[in-house]
Amino acid sequence: MARWWLLLLFLGVWMGAGLALIDGPAAGVPATGEAEAPLRIVCLAPSVTEIVCALGLADALVGVSQFSDYPPSVMGKARVGSFWQPDIEAVIALRPDLVVALDFPQQRDVAGRLNRVGFRTICVRDEYVKELFEAIEYIGAATARTAQAAALAADMKRKLAQIRGPQAADPRPRVLWVVQREPLRVAGRDTFVNELIELAGGVNAIGPTVQKYPPVGAEQVVGRQVDVIIEPAMGAGDLDGQQRTAEAFWGRYGAVPAVQNKRVYVICGDSVSRLGPRLCEGVSLVARCLGTD
Amino acid sequence: MRSLLTPGKLVLRLAAGLAVLAAVCAACAMVGSEHVCLSEALKGPGQAGGVNPDYEILVHIRLPRVALAAVVGAALACSGVVFQALLRNPLADPYILGISSGAGLGAMLAVIAGFNWTFLGRSPVGGFAFAGAMGTVWLVWWLGRLAGRGQMTGLLLAGVVVNAFLSAIILFLTSVARSEIVYSTIFWLMGNMTEGDFRVIWVAAGFVLAGIGVLYLLAGGLNALSFGEDDARSVGIEPARTRLVAFMAASAVTAVAVSLSGLIGFVGLVVPHSVRLVLGSDHRQLLPLSAVAGAAFLVGADTIARVVVAPAQLPVGVITAIVGGPLFLVLLVRSCRGAGGLR
Repeated sequence: MARWWLLLLFLGVWMGAGLALIDGPAAGVPATGEAEAPLRIVCLAPSVTEIVCALGLADALVGVSQFSDYPPSVMGKARVGSFWQPDIEAVIALRPDLVVALDFPQQRDVAGRLNRVGFRTICVRDEYVKELFEAIEYIGAATARTAQAAALAADMKRKLAQIRGPQAADPRPRVLWVVQREPLRVAGRDTFVNELIELAGGVNAIGPTVQKYPPVGAEQVVGRQVDVIIEPAMGAGDLDGQQRTAEAFWGRYGAVPAVQNKRVYVICGDSVSRLGPRLCEGVSLVARCLGTD
Repeated sequence: MRSLLTPGKLVLRLAAGLAVLAAVCAACAMVGSEHVCLSEALKGPGQAGGVNPDYEILVHIRLPRVALAAVVGAALACSGVVFQALLRNPLADPYILGISSGAGLGAMLAVIAGFNWTFLGRSPVGGFAFAGAMGTVWLVWWLGRLAGRGQMTGLLLAGVVVNAFLSAIILFLTSVARSEIVYSTIFWLMGNMTEGDFRVIWVAAGFVLAGIGVLYLLAGGLNALSFGEDDARSVGIEPARTRLVAFMAASAVTAVAVSLSGLIGFVGLVVPHSVRLVLGSDHRQLLPLSAVAGAAFLVGADTIARVVVAPAQLPVGVITAIVGGPLFLVLLVRSCRGAGGLR
């Protein structure tokens, strides 16, 4: 019996010693939009990299996430892990004075830890067009580029207004936005892709779903009488080859108007798969597919 | 034949094991995607205003991770030993009774419900995983008792069925949940070694060490039970009570490990068997040395996982299986040749 009490005593002493001796995480620097121009910026997602560069801060950028590839000037920057798994060691080694992350669970976690060890980190949401404009404003405020941010947002809104989009088409073409062919997975209503389609003057062929990118059956594709099928290309190269395989794949759905009228489009995925300053290019690309530009 | 285990021999082997573990931890703390200069790091957190990246990386990023891997590895290896002994099944591992899917479901529910509150600065995911794990253990134990007292087969089957059922619920939730939720739980389910708060690791280490202590006190009973219930009774061991306490302690230790780091496979299977093959199956030796070996193994595997494709990271379960599997097979073949077959 004595041995069991000894074990309990050990546990008590261990816990007491630990809680008494080890400091909790430091309070950290409050991550707010203080106006002080940072000199060493690290971006943890491709879309924030594009925003930071669009604010004229490409030279201050010292590290970017693995798949940040636009603008071309970021290709030579140090890489700090992927969007889903940022490498916190690599971030710290760059001694950044501002880290810009997205407000996703993994990135929030990393942001919290960076703030605790003294690296100022901000999180922005960038899932919908409205949030994109808020993110531009917030990053502008955090980097002392308020005026540039306002100018960028105004310019983007002006370009968006130039696309005729919704005024051009009546009835609006039904669009199937394919993110994966087998099994078939498409963009649902609660996505920025849906906003892209609507800004370009189309309407999503798939109704409201629980998932953002729901898997759908062949039945729905045929039943919805899809007018236009759009597939963002995988990777930058060989759009023609992908266009051919797409047409061959969709050929089996002869009853779908998009297939009958040869309106299956493989488009360059870059400007339509991330929500950033190139939003307007993405919208006009989609509008060209819909014939509403 | 191996000679008998004496206290002196046990202490010596344990000390040697701990020395190896310390060396592995020290070596792994010096390896990472960034080069850390030890002399720079020892200068401390840095002058006012500035930060010392070497110190921050070593002390706030790597050491917690190494410590976490050691705690989780020790916990999984020990509970693997105990489940294999209790269920008298060499295929048993810490997750065999459904703890993994119970914890996974708990974690997933916490993420899906979008709990953003924190308790003592902690996100609720770990707490929900722990609750899910313990709830599942209780359910399995209760179902196993319905099947009959002392019937380990009933317990095993109850565990397998509950595991399958909860896995199905996880799959269902995965297929209807929003994509970013699915991604964050997938990373959790694959094993996630990102705890950075030393206090949490310290408290967890306390519970794991205490649990291992409880199991060590039961080691004699586990030895006796391996000869059958009647033999155990004849040397004064109460089989039902020994089993219950060992089961509870092993489950709690596993639940602590799982709630810290998600699901990491293979450690609880391969480490106990390897130690058993090399040193024999006396639990007084098997338990503490499996704990040390499990800790060293997972620290090493996690270091490989975070370095080999840097700056990206692999799930540590990939490394535990790829490195552990062949290592284990080598030991198995050598042991079978030497002893003329499996004991």
